[in-house]
Amino acid sequence: MSLLDFSSDVFIAAFFLYSGAFMLFTIAIMGRKWSGRDPKAHTARWGKVAFTVSSVGLLCHIAYFVTRWMGSGHIPVSNMYEFMTFLSMMVMVAFTVIFAIYRKIILGVFAVPISIIVMAYAAVFPQEVQPLIPSLQSIYLNIHVTLAATGESFFAVGFAAGLMYLLRTVKFDSVEKVDRKQQRLVEFTLFSIIVIIGFLGSVFAFRGAGYETVFVRQNVTIDSPGQENSTIEKVSYKMPPIVAPYHSEIESFQSFLGMKAPLFEAPAWMNGVNAGRKFNTVIWSLISGLLLYGVIRLIARKPLGKAIHPVMDGIDEGDLDEIAYRAIAIGFPIFTLGALIFAMIWAQVAWGRFWGWDPKEVWALITWLFYSAYLHLRLARGWQGRKSAWLAVLGFLVVMFTLVGVNLVIAGLHSYAGTD
Amino acid sequence: MMGHAPFIANTKCECGHQNPVGTVLCEACGKPIGEEFDSSENLEMRYDGVARRSQRVNPGVIDLIWNFFSSVKIAIYLIVLTLLGSMLGTVFPQESTFLNIDASTYYKEQYGAAGQIYYTLGFSHTYESWWFVSLLVMIGASLVICSLDRVLPLYKALTRQKIRKHRQFLTRQKVVLIANIEEDPEVWVTRLLQPLKKKGYRVKVDGGALLAEKHRFSRWGPYVIHIGLIIFLLAVLARGLPGLNMDQHLAFPQGEITRIPDTTYYLKNEKFKVEFYTEEEMPEEFRGKKVLPKLYQTSAVLYQCTADCIDPSKEPQLSEVAAHDIQVNSPLEYKGLKAYQFDYDLTPVLRSVQPELINSANGESYGKFMLEMKNPERSFQVGPYTLTLKEKYLDFGLNEEGQPVSKSPYPNAPAFLFLIKGPDLPSAGQQYFYFPKQVDKAQFQQASINDKLGGQDRFLELDVANMSDVDFAESTAYLNIRVDRAMPFVWLGAGIVMLGLVLGFYWQHRRIWLIVSNGELTLGGHTNKNWFGFRREIVSILERVDMAVDEKSLDNGGGLA
Repeated sequence: MSLLDFSSDVFIAAFFLYSGAFMLFTIAIMGRKWSGRDPKAHTARWGKVAFTVSSVGLLCHIAYFVTRWMGSGHIPVSNMYEFMTFLSMMVMVAFTVIFAIYRKIILGVFAVPISIIVMAYAAVFPQEVQPLIPSLQSIYLNIHVTLAATGESFFAVGFAAGLMYLLRTVKFDSVEKVDRKQQRLVEFTLFSIIVIIGFLGSVFAFRGAGYETVFVRQNVTIDSPGQENSTIEKVSYKMPPIVAPYHSEIESFQSFLGMKAPLFEAPAWMNGVNAGRKFNTVIWSLISGLLLYGVIRLIARKPLGKAIHPVMDGIDEGDLDEIAYRAIAIGFPIFTLGALIFAMIWAQVAWGRFWGWDPKEVWALITWLFYSAYLHLRLARGWQGRKSAWLAVLGFLVVMFTLVGVNLVIAGLHSYAGTD
Repeated sequence: MMGHAPFIANTKCECGHQNPVGTVLCEACGKPIGEEFDSSENLEMRYDGVARRSQRVNPGVIDLIWNFFSSVKIAIYLIVLTLLGSMLGTVFPQESTFLNIDASTYYKEQYGAAGQIYYTLGFSHTYESWWFVSLLVMIGASLVICSLDRVLPLYKALTRQKIRKHRQFLTRQKVVLIANIEEDPEVWVTRLLQPLKKKGYRVKVDGGALLAEKHRFSRWGPYVIHIGLIIFLLAVLARGLPGLNMDQHLAFPQGEITRIPDTTYYLKNEKFKVEFYTEEEMPEEFRGKKVLPKLYQTSAVLYQCTADCIDPSKEPQLSEVAAHDIQVNSPLEYKGLKAYQFDYDLTPVLRSVQPELINSANGESYGKFMLEMKNPERSFQVGPYTLTLKEKYLDFGLNEEGQPVSKSPYPNAPAFLFLIKGPDLPSAGQQYFYFPKQVDKAQFQQASINDKLGGQDRFLELDVANMSDVDFAESTAYLNIRVDRAMPFVWLGAGIVMLGLVLGFYWQHRRIWLIVSNGELTLGGHTNKNWFGFRREIVSILERVDMAVDEKSLDNGGGLA
């Protein structure tokens, strides 16, 4: 068995161990109310088991990282798959650090799934080891990417704690206008997470079924007078095309549930065949997200926020507020160092300018400005509790847009990371 | 909260200390100022409750500007506006991303109406726009003024702390403990010294009162960050000053020494190399499908001109000063001048030809001469004939008026206009157009041009006899030549920011005040962050003097930040 095979095996092991740890953490919290047991002792005992399992998972994850590094000859953070696997690892590291400080079992219920989702997202991308192109052959690849991901992982834990704070404190039974608004916002946040799970579900379901439909589009451009240039773009859909690329033709079509042709065409402003494909993916994610949400609602028979709220019973809200803040306060300097300072140093060495307003650079700056505003609001304007929690939740959205959205929606110098 | 300065002008505390207007907590004893009724709310401990410059009464114009920029609220607005502005700039690619486009039409063609609006509103150059730069400058002003407004009073307050504070100052902290002490106050306080010192506290005792403090330097963290940011912003602004910054993209044909404009430097591209990963180095999925570059490298030598640099009639005298294999992540560096691998072109570039002058009537050859593309000599003696170079076009073309011009400084389509004098020619000489490249000869119709210039009976031709008379540069490396004298200050600023972040976020300023009197202990504690850890520390210190306290019972409410 080669190093790389071993590497992918322990990665899968880590995935299942995290999933197991998540369930154990949930049992540790939910099982408090089971009859015939002392709630405190129950949580402590199951929490210990859960944390042990998640730590073994983290060890497997680290083993994946080390062996992939050894097997490929370069640090495995060079494409989207490797970056996401690394990010999920650092989320677990950040969770472990914060858990070691605060010993709050409930944190496992919310932080571990973030890592699981990021891991699953990694699997969307091609997994083979790619040799490094010249621009990535630098020691700064190791420093810049890893530090930035570490800082972002602490923001992820801050997000988890912020969301927990909201689930704990929002009055889900109240019909007051203010509370209704909070309920809806929490519900929307949870729904968004479910849409991401829906996205992952549809990717893997259609991939498992081997679905493929191909579109072609001919592009005619006039470069100079009298010179016509025609290029053919081809795009392969891995999900049934509800929406076809703008002005394209079907090359091959695999029917799905009696669907024999795309339902409609992408609008003209969606440039390129890939825009159509991405739009299609968004639609499928929404459909499966809605389905999933509907099923959960049917089972729970109440809004998700209201259903989760009792789980948070007895958790000190002050601690949750502090955990969210502390995670961000730990992550902020690391993020500054990795995502801005070392990014500037590397840009200076590779491109001759430390700052070029590349979209990825700008979004790293936006993330930094956002958390700067968060810290100023909290430390100097006394924004604590609910407002602070919402900012922690929103901040992670900014982080995810910087990491994923920029590559999907806006291209730029960082687009070589290979996105789907 | 209690951010507003109270209206009551009487700022004299009951302890007799006269405080400046705007003081929240008495500078001496810490008793809240200007509260008419006793309150049990947590105290406002920001900047230790001292007055700031921005809280002066009867502000003048300068005071008003000062007050504006000293407000954290304004600073946050500036941060948020910069954030939103930055977002706008990423909607479509910025103009600076492209080397040569006509922005006035590009955005409309590429993105339709939205692109047109984007361009018209000036978002296609967001980061150079007046409003964005103004925002950055205002953030700079806010950084300076906010910091000065707070750091000086805070410094004063922290350096002259009194040990014995007003009881209310203690009981209204966010960490409070009130307990019974049966021992002698001074003995009990002395017993506490050892555990406090062990935890790193510096302790001062005044009878039955105690002040323990640690990691005060952490309070300077935010101000250090702001100083770093100011240096960073100033360095970035300084880059715009003339002479501090140079940025040019130049072509360096292999084997040639090329002058770097506006400097005394010359750079020779000795060899350019591009390598690709072999099939074995690629993952199976990619074999035969993808080509991945492995290395771009320009082996370069940098020369400095030591004499005859400006005189065009003399060859400049060069001395080698640096040599480096320039790769993507490894520029050549010499005294602030840097050369970065930017691009390459593997199309061979004509360097020189040795055309032969022949008599087309009888086939007689008069000999050949060396004609260089870049710096050709002005005249040549070939047999009995003298050729004078009248015009040179490296990239021949015709402009709108039909006049010959050179479209670029690169020898893509070189053309030379000679005046030939000698036997059997008119005394004024005969003009002759010469295109060294065969394709250009045909495309620009060299023969018919010359027929017009010299008439039908002309008999002289220039031609290359064989390929050994042609010299090519195999490839061209494009390097980005940069000078950026402000960079050391950019890094200095970034370094100071990092130092401040570490000081401010990884340590916390912790203070414990306590008074033991009449058999009762009153303890108040304050930290700027991490109350959880602080409470835990106090519990463990009190354990050492056999006092069991529950962590949560120390929490006097609101103790979150």
